[in-house]
Amino acid sequence: MQYEKLVLNLVLLNVDGVECRYGSVKVLEDVTLAVKDGDFVGILGPNGSGKTTLLKSISRSLRPHRGTILLNEADIYDLKGVEVARQMAVVPQDSAIGFSFAALDVVLMGRNPHMTRFQIEGKKDLAIARKAMELTNTWHLSERPLNELSGGERQRVIIARALAQEPRILLLDEPMTHLDIINQLEIMDLVKNLCVKENLIVLAVFHDLNLAARYCTSAILLKSGRIFSTGNIDEVLTSENIRSVFRVDAIVKKHLVTNSLFVLPLSPQKPSPTKKCSIHLICGAGTGTALMKILLDEGYSVTAGVLNVLDTDFETAQFLKIPVTTEAPFSPITEKTEKANLAMMSKASTIVLTSVPFGHGNLQNLENAKKAMEKGIPTIVIDEVPIESRDFTQGKATEIFSELKRIGAVFVANQNELLQWLNVSEEKARSSELEKVRILSHLKPGTANESEIADKRKTMGETGNR
Amino acid sequence: MNQDQVESEYFRRTSKWNLILILLTLALILTVLISLNVGYAQIPFQNILAILARQIPFLNSYVDPSLFLPRDAAIILQIRLPRIIAGVVVGAALSSSGVVYQGVFKNPMADSYLLGVSSGAAVGASLSILFGTGYSVFGLGILQLAAFTGALFAMFLVYNIARVGSKVPVTMLLLCGLAVNFFMYSIVSLLEVVAGDSLHSIVFWLIGGFSNILWIQVWATLPFIAVGMIAAYFYSRDLNLLALGEETAQNLGVNVEKVKTRLLVLASMIAAAAVSLSGLIGFVGLMVPHITRLVIGPDHRILFPASIITGAIFLVICDALARVVATPFASTLELPVGIITMLAGAPFFIILLRKKKQSYAI
Repeated sequence: MQYEKLVLNLVLLNVDGVECRYGSVKVLEDVTLAVKDGDFVGILGPNGSGKTTLLKSISRSLRPHRGTILLNEADIYDLKGVEVARQMAVVPQDSAIGFSFAALDVVLMGRNPHMTRFQIEGKKDLAIARKAMELTNTWHLSERPLNELSGGERQRVIIARALAQEPRILLLDEPMTHLDIINQLEIMDLVKNLCVKENLIVLAVFHDLNLAARYCTSAILLKSGRIFSTGNIDEVLTSENIRSVFRVDAIVKKHLVTNSLFVLPLSPQKPSPTKKCSIHLICGAGTGTALMKILLDEGYSVTAGVLNVLDTDFETAQFLKIPVTTEAPFSPITEKTEKANLAMMSKASTIVLTSVPFGHGNLQNLENAKKAMEKGIPTIVIDEVPIESRDFTQGKATEIFSELKRIGAVFVANQNELLQWLNVSEEKARSSELEKVRILSHLKPGTANESEIADKRKTMGETGNR
Repeated sequence: MNQDQVESEYFRRTSKWNLILILLTLALILTVLISLNVGYAQIPFQNILAILARQIPFLNSYVDPSLFLPRDAAIILQIRLPRIIAGVVVGAALSSSGVVYQGVFKNPMADSYLLGVSSGAAVGASLSILFGTGYSVFGLGILQLAAFTGALFAMFLVYNIARVGSKVPVTMLLLCGLAVNFFMYSIVSLLEVVAGDSLHSIVFWLIGGFSNILWIQVWATLPFIAVGMIAAYFYSRDLNLLALGEETAQNLGVNVEKVKTRLLVLASMIAAAAVSLSGLIGFVGLMVPHITRLVIGPDHRILFPASIITGAIFLVICDALARVVATPFASTLELPVGIITMLAGAPFFIILLRKKKQSYAI
């Protein structure tokens, strides 16, 4: 008996094999999911993947062409609208209304499914409306016309209206679009709280993957009308899934403070290297992270090393698929790795040294740079932070630094100067290629051409100075 | 205002609504009595009261019939009263259907003639003026029947053209109404061109008015209007919810398509009956709902009955003005009431709109 009662109290929402069409265009195909109370489900996917359509078919606004949507085992399209409205509330994307109804009137309209035709809202209804408005922090707005409120205030009133329905299921269609960040968090905290304490089912369409990651317990990821992935939020929100559905590379990690996933999208990936120069980065401790991405975007091929496994730069390189020579975590560079790194460096056309701190563990990297210079590979030093302040080797690193300067390493002040310098040398590489071709085809190198290149360099230098 | 005041204020609302309705009803009775005074024949006010009292059961034995002339009684009861009651009925009908249309369409330009009611009635009336004068059915002129039939036919046409499957999208209805109205009016223009001597009658009917109204005409239209208004009032909370948008209304338990269809049919029936009685009287169905909403707010549970009474008052006053404004120039000339409604109503509406335009939204 006890068990039976427990089952009766459960709210279940089953979406089974739903297919929706607009005209002859299929917008949803074979969508199946089961939700029970206490679930906070995020509906994710790019524009046009059918998120809103799915929500509409669940909210009884768009009858699916195939499949069923069951609310506690009853088909919602067989139920009366009022019966569904007593259990399910919807917060739409657009909350503008006709006529200038006061906020309290609008919230009280949420009581409609619980009232008979000629009933006037009574004390109980007003108390429920008031509680809903206090929860969403809108009671002080109760007498203001809804259309005069700001987007965020209006959205909070609309959420209060949904709560006044006393629903068991709350559907949110990108409810945070008009809200600033503090309102987003407050409202989502409130919804999450209701979900946990009152065992509400929440189904929400999200554009912001981080917001979804923070609040959802599970998610479905839609790709052109079909479920691409479904399950717990950390099973769905993986960088592989994000790449194949949104076509964006993203870093997905567990946040140390909130202990929820966070998603850091990177700009859409560019095709393979377009430039002749290849660059080897000597970096570490995060000093190379931004540069790796920039150089790749500029079209250079990039290598890096030696980096310790677990170093930030190492992880970035892994993510960006940059070849790296690695050393075990927190270990000094061994001779073997050093050799491997030297081999990698000798393939590069330029070595770039970031403002990485030097200790006994990575001093070899600096010595390697010197060795590479002696082999004739140009080396650029980004001298953003004075070497003295990041030298933890009792002056050894500073010594090598001045050595590098003496034998002709280029010192630049920041990333921009580096990129300019690289551009010039790219031009140089191109023209020398050209010259090679000329010599091979027994042509005399034209003087005009040389002066042209010189001109180009000059203009580049000028833009650099500006 | 603190929070508990908001609550107590809210509960006082219902009694405020009742007060508004009582005051408006008293104003309507007063307007009717005053406007019984207006006319070519001078009849003392106490005589008018006596004539009316004679008509009321139980009260009539206290009134001495020798107080007034039988001629005066005939003027009041057979000429002025039917005309004024027709004004009450038509004013109420046009504004109530206007409220419904504006509520369903959420469009400030929606009025009681939107779905082709006016143009359909115009075609019916013009045809009957040209070809059917003199016929009557149960004492009703053929004109009234033709106008009513034409109005319902046009509405039926608009509704069926606009229907997409089981749904009737609002934009489609508006556009189809527009198209059918244009089409019907072009037929009216065509009829006017070939009308010859009847042209004056057609034009006069198109402007609308209450001269030569008979009791039987009022009684014939009243059931449609009364039943329509009562039925439509059942849906006033649904009209409130429709303001939130059709989808939201649906999510709050309103059977949107059913409610919309019923309301539109009821409102069109009301408007068709009114038009068949008075001809095309403009402005009332469009502006009275706006004016009422500006003053008492958008809640249809009070807006609907208040608009009905306001529309009645407004049209009775306009009709009284129509009877008197021209008398200084020609004692028997009276203007069509449709001209007065616009001349008097438009400036009033503009003043009200300017005062409240910041907070008014539809």
